[in-house]
Amino acid sequence: MGDYFTIGRGDEVVEGDAAAFEIQGTQVAVARVGGALYAFGDICTHQGCTLMPGGELDGTELTCGCHGSMFSIETGAVLDGPATQPIEVYPSREVDGEIQIEV
Amino acid sequence: MPRETVVVVGASLAGGTAAATLRDEGFDGRIVLIGEEPELPYQRPPLSKTYLRGESARDTLLVRPDDWWTEHEVETRTGTRVQALDPAARTATLADGEAIAFDRCLLATGVRNRALDVPGVDLEGVVHLRTMADSDRIRAAAADAGHVVVVGMGFIGAEVAASLRMLGVEVTVIELYETALRKVLGLRLGDVLAAIHRDHGVAMRFNDAVGRFEGSTRVERVVTRDGDMIDCGLVVVGIGTVPSTEASGALALAPDGGVAVDARLETAVPGVFAAGDVASHAHPVLGRVRVEHFDNAVKMGAHAARAMLGSPDAFDDPHWFWSDQYDQHLQMGGVALTDDMVVRGSLEERSFCAFFLDEGGVLRASVALNRPRECRRSLPLIRAGVAPDRGLLADPDVDLRTLA
Repeated sequence: MGDYFTIGRGDEVVEGDAAAFEIQGTQVAVARVGGALYAFGDICTHQGCTLMPGGELDGTELTCGCHGSMFSIETGAVLDGPATQPIEVYPSREVDGEIQIEV
Repeated sequence: MPRETVVVVGASLAGGTAAATLRDEGFDGRIVLIGEEPELPYQRPPLSKTYLRGESARDTLLVRPDDWWTEHEVETRTGTRVQALDPAARTATLADGEAIAFDRCLLATGVRNRALDVPGVDLEGVVHLRTMADSDRIRAAAADAGHVVVVGMGFIGAEVAASLRMLGVEVTVIELYETALRKVLGLRLGDVLAAIHRDHGVAMRFNDAVGRFEGSTRVERVVTRDGDMIDCGLVVVGIGTVPSTEASGALALAPDGGVAVDARLETAVPGVFAAGDVASHAHPVLGRVRVEHFDNAVKMGAHAARAMLGSPDAFDDPHWFWSDQYDQHLQMGGVALTDDMVVRGSLEERSFCAFFLDEGGVLRASVALNRPRECRRSLPLIRAGVAPDRGLLADPDVDLRTLA
């Protein structure tokens, strides 16, 4: 088990969208979909573009803005596009209005 | 019951994706994938960008890892070509005379580079870019070329010029039209791209063309049609393509030179399909189109596989592609611009999404520079053929998804 780190305020992540954060040199993004939080690595595994804010979220499917790679933000799996490697996903939670992720 | 055989002509992105999709969808018959290049299917976009600059390794380009094809019993025949395709007899004959009988066949032979017909074009150091091997050659030669001339400023020329500048190489571009990417993007947007290249130190000679190449055995200079002389150690030619239809046998070609297919990618011969750059597609929304981009090759390849397995669905993707030049991300949705442009954002600030409406106000295409979300959100509107309000299109605070 890793430790949970606070990365930002809950109101920075609106429903149906994701926001980018940096924690200890790692770029992560957090989405809020159907009330639930999803934290994932913010760097596309295809060619290193940041996924947010250019990416497009449709439910829990995220399409990278650069080249159209599509990932599940639940599992990190590649769903479509030129990427072949999954993105990282992290456990996350909201405590007292703060978003925390486990890294 | 005997196993069915699918022959895929062209171990390309579209062909490889189709073969892989057949297996992914559970097809357990024989699959034969035939390609001219020694390589198994790979992605070409990096050949003018990250792969050319040495930032992406070969393995990252592969459609599937090297082992995947044998593990999934896909017979790969590389370094050969289909000499004769007999759609009626359902056989594909290879260069060595082997005849392969098929139940279904997919043509995914792509395009080849248009040749430049000027004196000196056969000199060493005058090269084209299509394959991984071509990209390797350009990278190696550019290192000590001193000065590189790029002929043509379409996407290949513009991306090669950008990559070479990023490697610190001096570049001059010679382009027949009056600005960069004129045929695809039009004058105003082409000028935006030309300005980006100018800022990065590319010398551009518009409204000119190559008259001849000079040198003893290796190219040493270009003499333009206007009579200018440009010393150089390497020339990269990117002046367009022609469909590779040599293997298409008696199949009907469309006016655009591609193999004509219906909405679900089947030719007039039942069981014979085409996908990717070579396919002239009866698109249900956009009309007859032939598209030479990555996303289309992948999506068409996968769609053709499902069509070969019996899916009745039309291929109705609105089309989308990207072109990365320096740190700029250019993207386009749809296939052809119209004369009526509505701009959201700013051309001068190089942050915009331009929307192109037809005479009935229907959104037909979009071009975005560094605004990927808006380009992506315009795609469902193009697919649906909607006529959005111009003011709402231009307003950056309006979420395009609400215009569907």
